[in-house]
Amino acid sequence: MVDDKPENLLALERLLIDFPVILYKAENGNDALKLSLHHEFALALLDIQMPEMDGYELAELLRQEVKTEDLPFIFISAIYTENINVFQGYEKGAFSYVTKPFEPEVLLNKIRFFIKKYQQEQLLIEQQEQLKRTNEELESFSYSVSHDLRAPLRAVSGYSSLLLQNHKNQLDEEGQKFLNIINKEAGRMGQLIDDLLDFSQMNRLKVNDTDAISMDALILECRDEVRKMYPGVSPRFFINPLPKVKANRALLHQVFVNLLGNAVKYRKPDQVPVIKIEARTDEVNQQYIFSIKDNGVGFDMKYADKLFGVFQRLHSNEEFEGNGIGLALVRRIVNRHGGETWAESEPRVGSTFYFSLPAVIKQQELVN
Amino acid sequence: MSNHAEILLCEDNSSDADLTIRALKGKNPSANIQWVKNGEEAMDYLLARGSFEKRPIEYKPKVILLDLKMPKVDGLEVLKEIRNHPETKTIPVVILTSSNEKRDIKSSYEYGANSYIVKPVDSQKFLDSVAELSSYWLSLNKPGY
Repeated sequence: MVDDKPENLLALERLLIDFPVILYKAENGNDALKLSLHHEFALALLDIQMPEMDGYELAELLRQEVKTEDLPFIFISAIYTENINVFQGYEKGAFSYVTKPFEPEVLLNKIRFFIKKYQQEQLLIEQQEQLKRTNEELESFSYSVSHDLRAPLRAVSGYSSLLLQNHKNQLDEEGQKFLNIINKEAGRMGQLIDDLLDFSQMNRLKVNDTDAISMDALILECRDEVRKMYPGVSPRFFINPLPKVKANRALLHQVFVNLLGNAVKYRKPDQVPVIKIEARTDEVNQQYIFSIKDNGVGFDMKYADKLFGVFQRLHSNEEFEGNGIGLALVRRIVNRHGGETWAESEPRVGSTFYFSLPAVIKQQELVN
Repeated sequence: MSNHAEILLCEDNSSDADLTIRALKGKNPSANIQWVKNGEEAMDYLLARGSFEKRPIEYKPKVILLDLKMPKVDGLEVLKEIRNHPETKTIPVVILTSSNEKRDIKSSYEYGANSYIVKPVDSQKFLDSVAELSSYWLSLNKPGY
C-alpha cells in the first residue's frame, strides 16, 4: 500500500484486517521501491496523487524491474481516466482502478481476485518444478539402469562363455549344464533390462505429427516377421481388409508383432495356430476396433485385468517363455494413440485381443 | 607394455576391458593394445606424458576405443580434449559404451566421435562386434597420419 497520507493507509489497513495477507506500507514511491527489493509482492495498492513521485511514475519504475514487472496494481484515486496508456509498461501486467469514494466491497473483491490469482500461479509454479524434478530423477534412473546394470551382466555372460569355450574339458556334463544356464539367464536379464527401458522411454515418446498408414501393408510385414520368429510352426493367418489410420508406424508395427507373436506363442501343442485379423468401425465412438483371434491355449477371464500389466504373466517360464513386457507395451502404445486394449478368452479354446484407434481419416480418403 | 599400440582402449571397468582385449586378440592375436583406465591416463599416453613420457609421440594408435561413463573425467570430456589437441585431433575415436541413450549418441557425434557402438550384453554378440570393429579400424580404414 502506497499513499502519502497516513490516515489513508490506516483506513486501508483497517479494511483489510481480516485478510490472510501481510501488509507493507509506504508513504512515498522511494520507500515503496525499497520494499520491493526485499519482498515478493502479490499486489500493490497505489495512490495516484502523491508529491515527488506519483502513482503512475511508481508503476512505471516497478514495470522496469524484472522482479516486479508483472506485479498487478490497483490504483486508488479521486480522478478516473479512461485512457489506459497513462504509464509506461502498462501492457506487461494487470491493473485496475478504484475511484474515491469507493464501496469497500468493490475494492475487497478486486483484492481477493488478485490474491487468488497470485496463489494459483504460485501453486502452478511449484507443481511444475516438482514435475520437472521427478522427470529428471526418472531420467537419471533409467540412465543408470541402462548403464550400470548391464556392465556386471556382460561380465557374467562373457566369462561364462569363455569358461565354456576354453575350459570345457575340466567340467563334467552337469557343470557344463549349470554354466549354460548361467549364460542363458544372464542374456535373458539383459533382454529384460532393454525391454524395461524401451517401456519407460515410451512415456517420453511423441506420437503426434503422424502419417496415415496402410494397415494392410503393415500387417503383412508383421505376419512375415512373426513367421520367421517361429520357424517350423507354420501358423495360418486369415487377414481381412484393414482401414488406414493415423499413427506412428514403427510403434504399431510393434503392437502387431507382439499380438501376432503371442497368438503363435501361446498355441496348443497339438494344433496348427489359426489366427484371424480383422477390423470394424465403431461409428458411435468414431474409432476402429482391431481384433486378433487365435485358437491357442486361452486364459481364464478372471485374470483378464492382469494381462496388460508390466511383468504380469499368466504362465510360468517353463510353459511359455516371456518377461511380461509385451502386452504392457501394446497397451502403452495404443493408449498413447488415444485407443484402448482389451481381451476375451476361453481356456483351451482361444483368445481374441482387441485394440481401438481413433478413426480420424475421412471416408473418401479410406477408399483410396 | 607396448610403446606402439594400434588400439588405445580407455575403459574403467576391468572385466569389460579384459573381455574386450580377449575379443580383440581372439580375431587378431598380434594386435597391440594399450589399456588405460581413465581419461587422464589416455591423454598421458597420447601426448607421451607422465608414466608414458618415454614413448615416442609420433606413434599414434589406429583407433581409440572410448567408454563414456568413467569416474573423474568422463568419456565425452576426453573426446573433447582429444579433438582440441593438434597432436590427437585426427585419431579415429570409437565410443564403446553401455548407453543406448539418444543424448549420449548425439553429443558423442557432436564432439567428433567417428563411430558409436553399444556394448551388447550377450557375450557372443559382444565378442563378434568387438572383433568386427577391430578388423575394420585396423585393416580397412586408412588413418590421416
